[in-house]
Amino acid sequence: MIVEVRKFGNILNSRPSGREAVLISKQIINGSKDINEIALDFNGVEVITPSFADEFISGIKLLYPSSKIKIVGMENNPVIKEVLDSMEKDKDS
Amino acid sequence: MDIFIILYYIINMSLNYQKYLQIIKESAIDLSSLDFLYPWDKVMVSLLLIESKDQPGKKIILPKNQDLLKYLKRMHLQEILKELAYIEEAEFDSVEVPEHYNLNLQELSHCKYRDEFDARLGHFLGMFLNFGMELNDAKLATAIVGELGNNVFDHNLGKWPTDVSGCIIAAQNFPKLKKIEFAIGDPGIGFLGSLKAAFPELDSDIKAIKKGLAGNTGRIGENRGNGLKYIQSWTIKNFSGMLTIHSGGGVVEVSEEKTSEYQGIKILGTLAQFVIYYK
Repeated sequence: MIVEVRKFGNILNSRPSGREAVLISKQIINGSKDINEIALDFNGVEVITPSFADEFISGIKLLYPSSKIKIVGMENNPVIKEVLDSMEKDKDS
Repeated sequence: MDIFIILYYIINMSLNYQKYLQIIKESAIDLSSLDFLYPWDKVMVSLLLIESKDQPGKKIILPKNQDLLKYLKRMHLQEILKELAYIEEAEFDSVEVPEHYNLNLQELSHCKYRDEFDARLGHFLGMFLNFGMELNDAKLATAIVGELGNNVFDHNLGKWPTDVSGCIIAAQNFPKLKKIEFAIGDPGIGFLGSLKAAFPELDSDIKAIKKGLAGNTGRIGENRGNGLKYIQSWTIKNFSGMLTIHSGGGVVEVSEEKTSEYQGIKILGTLAQFVIYYK
């Protein structure tokens, strides 16, 4: 199951938008047969802020605790990598 | 960062404090003796205008320096005056300035609502590119702006002290120095007002700002608050820059070398600025 995050916009900013994106993703994911692995594909997203990323990724993880959540498509965008890495480091510390 | 740049900022900060003490005269904001206003100053003046907008006899004394007057018209100060019903707005009518597109300026703009701010983020990405930043740096700078704006709306929703909400933004590129100053201010409850609920022991604006910079939030029971920590880290690590926050009467400035704290003039809300150096 792949969720194309760029469909929510190429500049993803606020927590309310992140929450709304989770709700829409839920509709998309629930219509899929294969939810053992959910890939959040960030290809095409230009800018993401920590607020949106936190709300969106945490929201998906909370909704699907038994699914493997994979982040893909950030290889070509160091900014998305920077945002997500900072958040990851923070969780580890 | 160069020691001279640090010294420049320390001296500048002290001069700023003196400057603001001089320009606030009871219900008047007196810009008559000034020769230039940086983005920080322009947003500060806008916050002062908001604060005194309902006072009887409110007044702004515009600069005598004609070049500065033209510059302020080009920066759309008259729009802020019009919005807040300052009659001095009319003084700009006789100031003639061609509205040339200047790639090094971001005019004063007031985003009253979150959607208005979100819609401008694409414009800010283009602005950073026009300033001469590389694409990935411009994207990261836009993420910093986005997160600063998020804080404005997240922490003041339902709590705006006056009937003026939202954030006021100004920015300028200094191409010879490859330096960008981006200031964003809001007439909101400030760091202390926001954090006090979760940290009742906080008793000063400076302590509240430092608490916020360390990744804490005033939203009880919610796991959030790291945005400002990331902004700080990216400004310093990716751009060798400096983040300054003035909230209430406290000022905290963070750079790679040190964190400085000062007592500033008492303002309504918060004024944040990041200064970044680009390749």
